[in-house]
Amino acid sequence: MDALLIVFASGLISLFAAFAKKPWLVVSSAMAGLLAAIIVILNQLQTGKAFFDFLKYEGLLFDDLALVYSLAICVLALLIVGLGYERFKENPVHTGEYIGLLIFSTVGAMIMTAYTDMFMFFLGLEILSIPIYVMAGSNKTDIRSSEASLKYFLTGSFASGIFLFGLAWVYGATGTFRLWEIQAKIMEMESLSPILMIGVLLIMASFIFKIGAAPFHFWSPDVYDGAPHAVTGFMASVVKISAFYAFLKMFIVCFGFGELLGFWQNALVIMIIITMFVGNLSALRQVKFKRLLAYSSITHVGYTLLVFVSNSMGSVMELWFYMFAYGFSIVGVIGVGLAVNDQEDRIEAWRGLGKRNPFLAIVGIVSLLSLAGIPPTAGFFAKYIVFSSAWANASWLVIIALINSAISIYYYLKVIATIISPVESGQEKIKLSPLTIGVLTLALIGMLGFSVIVSWL
Amino acid sequence: MELLLFILPVFFALSVLLVPKQGVRAYGIIGSLVVLGVVIACMMQYNNNGTMYLFMQKPWFYGITLSFGYDGISLLMLLLTAVLVPLILVANFRNELAENRLFTSMVFFMQLGLIGVFVSMDGLWFYIFWEITLIPIFLISWWFGAPERKAALMKFFIYTFVGSLAMLAALIGIKVNSPTFYIEDLRTVVFTGKTACWLALGFFLAFAIKIPVFPFHTWQPDTYTKSPMAGTMLLSGIMLKMALYGMIRWMLPLFPEAIPCLQYPIIILATVGVVYAAIIAIRQKDMKRVFAFASMSHVGLIAAAIMTCNFDALSGSMVQILNHGLVAVGLFLAVEIIERRAGTRNLDELGGFAKQAPKFAFWFAALAFASVSVPLTSGFIGEFLMLKGLVGFDMVVGIIAGTTLILGAVYTFRAYQLSMYGPVTRDHFADLHWSELLVLALIVIAVVIFGVYPAAITDFVNPSIKVVLETLSTPSGL
Repeated sequence: MDALLIVFASGLISLFAAFAKKPWLVVSSAMAGLLAAIIVILNQLQTGKAFFDFLKYEGLLFDDLALVYSLAICVLALLIVGLGYERFKENPVHTGEYIGLLIFSTVGAMIMTAYTDMFMFFLGLEILSIPIYVMAGSNKTDIRSSEASLKYFLTGSFASGIFLFGLAWVYGATGTFRLWEIQAKIMEMESLSPILMIGVLLIMASFIFKIGAAPFHFWSPDVYDGAPHAVTGFMASVVKISAFYAFLKMFIVCFGFGELLGFWQNALVIMIIITMFVGNLSALRQVKFKRLLAYSSITHVGYTLLVFVSNSMGSVMELWFYMFAYGFSIVGVIGVGLAVNDQEDRIEAWRGLGKRNPFLAIVGIVSLLSLAGIPPTAGFFAKYIVFSSAWANASWLVIIALINSAISIYYYLKVIATIISPVESGQEKIKLSPLTIGVLTLALIGMLGFSVIVSWL
Repeated sequence: MELLLFILPVFFALSVLLVPKQGVRAYGIIGSLVVLGVVIACMMQYNNNGTMYLFMQKPWFYGITLSFGYDGISLLMLLLTAVLVPLILVANFRNELAENRLFTSMVFFMQLGLIGVFVSMDGLWFYIFWEITLIPIFLISWWFGAPERKAALMKFFIYTFVGSLAMLAALIGIKVNSPTFYIEDLRTVVFTGKTACWLALGFFLAFAIKIPVFPFHTWQPDTYTKSPMAGTMLLSGIMLKMALYGMIRWMLPLFPEAIPCLQYPIIILATVGVVYAAIIAIRQKDMKRVFAFASMSHVGLIAAAIMTCNFDALSGSMVQILNHGLVAVGLFLAVEIIERRAGTRNLDELGGFAKQAPKFAFWFAALAFASVSVPLTSGFIGEFLMLKGLVGFDMVVGIIAGTTLILGAVYTFRAYQLSMYGPVTRDHFADLHWSELLVLALIVIAVVIFGVYPAAITDFVNPSIKVVLETLSTPSGL
């Protein structure tokens, strides 16, 4: 609860700080708030005490898992705010809005990790989504950005509608909105009611939409492509983490047992397979960086969905590892994309990065290796953790996922090859601001030292 | 002290980036000699009874342990790595490449990966280091290779990565039944024959691609010819030995249940590869391709011999692993010497160098003899023991594999004759530089010493091979 309040307050402060028209003031208040939230969460994880414990509200419960996920969300939001600053400050009048909206969206993400009530979840979802609808269109001079915003808004609100519709069916079957009460009610049922099953399917569809898995993935390439880099990074890391955890939590707690489990798992398995192949095969021929990222993220969603098959409370941590590692890799590539700053966002523009800025090239290569899952980067360990937990239940699915990893190496390798190719004429060196270097160094440490960090936990 | 095996390569790989350009050559060579010193110190203190000496064993996370150690087999591979890296750096002495910091740095990273592969006694660490070796070799070849290298290298990377993923799948498959990835824990897992076969096939795919065993060899000739000399040497000298080592250390002991069903197919594939590659080598015009296929032919024989699970064959294969590592480096150096001076590797356009460069002719001939396993060279001991094992396993297979001796002589001496004898084709052909002479002489001397006194190798590895074979005959878990 403390962290949530701190982040919310820092969002307000950075919004008001914008009156001073000093971008550095906005960004430092936002980053200070996120840092304070991280410290508070770490403290609460260790001591188990929170200052605002007396503010008991039943809709939100910050247990250890919610705290750990909030930690990941805050860390990644911090990195992305740091990365995006360079671009946001170009327009000092709007810096405050951009950063403020990102922070509010982070608040929504944190609510989505801690909800115990369907309504609270829905509130979190909307608090998370609405700022991003706006943010996706923040590049006002670019028509693709407006397209992304509108597309995301229309499809996103449609998905929210589907969620509410599904929720209505579940309410009809169980008569409550509380997660644990729904669980108890379903356990009492002698046979599954069709009303409930329809509700579960509809809710699942809305989640599949939010995390961008096939067959509800069509919005994601356009939106990723059109949105500004930092927003794309935010969608691929923070939004994914919170949506995934909310998904897993709801489905393990409410629907994760008995006949119902088999019912939605079967549907999900088919979607996992489609998701992995659709993402991979579409990514093979992409020439634009953010489109490639969108398709590769669809594939990663496919890998991550394997935690739903491994079917145990333990898989919550596996999901955390995967999303955290993935978030770091995203921060790395987005940082490179921001620094290269090509109008058309072509991958070709990355050519000769090794000469133009060696540090950037190292970050880019390590993040791509991490996305491809090559040791010793974070992506490999995360993949190993998720795959090995799913093996016992669905070894054949893991083998399909490994085949997909083999396909994906092609397009990652192509980008790496572009980075290490010689420079062409007319390309200058790239200069980085200290803040960007700091953020990218953190991402690099996260990717290379992930295994060491995990072994401490 | 054993931790220096990891620390030193990383240290040299990073510190070489700060060394001024003139000093890079010397720095690299000195660094690799220091690593060699550490390996020799490890060998000295190892009491040679075939047991595994673990210098580190700690649990880590998710069933991964930090288990690192070595026995006789690992030490021999470590020695090969530590000897070949300085040899390769000296062989490169006259290239502009040698004063490139990135190149030297990548060689050290490569060495780190190789050392890691040979000392990891934890399945996942083995996999991690196995993959790590791929990145520096890819970068070396990508940055410094022949002009039209890119497609070949992409193929190489993807090919080997696919194999590695199969191994990862197999590793995850065993781990499900075992508490940790520590090799002894993995060994105690008992499978039914069928599961064991599938899992062993996962390992085999990774190894077969790297060795390469027919029909997984299609990446190899292109990659060898398009890589710079140092890359080719690293690939054929040490990197494919990783796969042979992996067969002895991981595939056989982990899945003794799979041996009955996999033994014949693998031996037959490998034997087909031996003959197939040798015949192709005879018809090649490009000298580097000749030796690329020769390498495939020789290594196929080693793979077949390992699969017999016969004591003599295994001990012969260890001798041959060492021998082939040395000889391959020497032969590729000879090709490089010719290419650098004559400007081409095409056998049709070469000839007559023996008159102009007698020293080179002598040492190249000595290497050629070592390569075709003439008695008094270590190749003879190795191939003899391996063929003995193969004949004992199956007469027909042994005889077919034995043709490698004849075919090997044909392609090696054809390449030698066409390049060194015949009418003089170049006005000028400089004789050996001291660095080249040093490398060739060291290799030939080592090969002859081991040929006369093979016990130096066999006494060292035999106890460990015995231990490995015992684990095969006692079904795991009993």
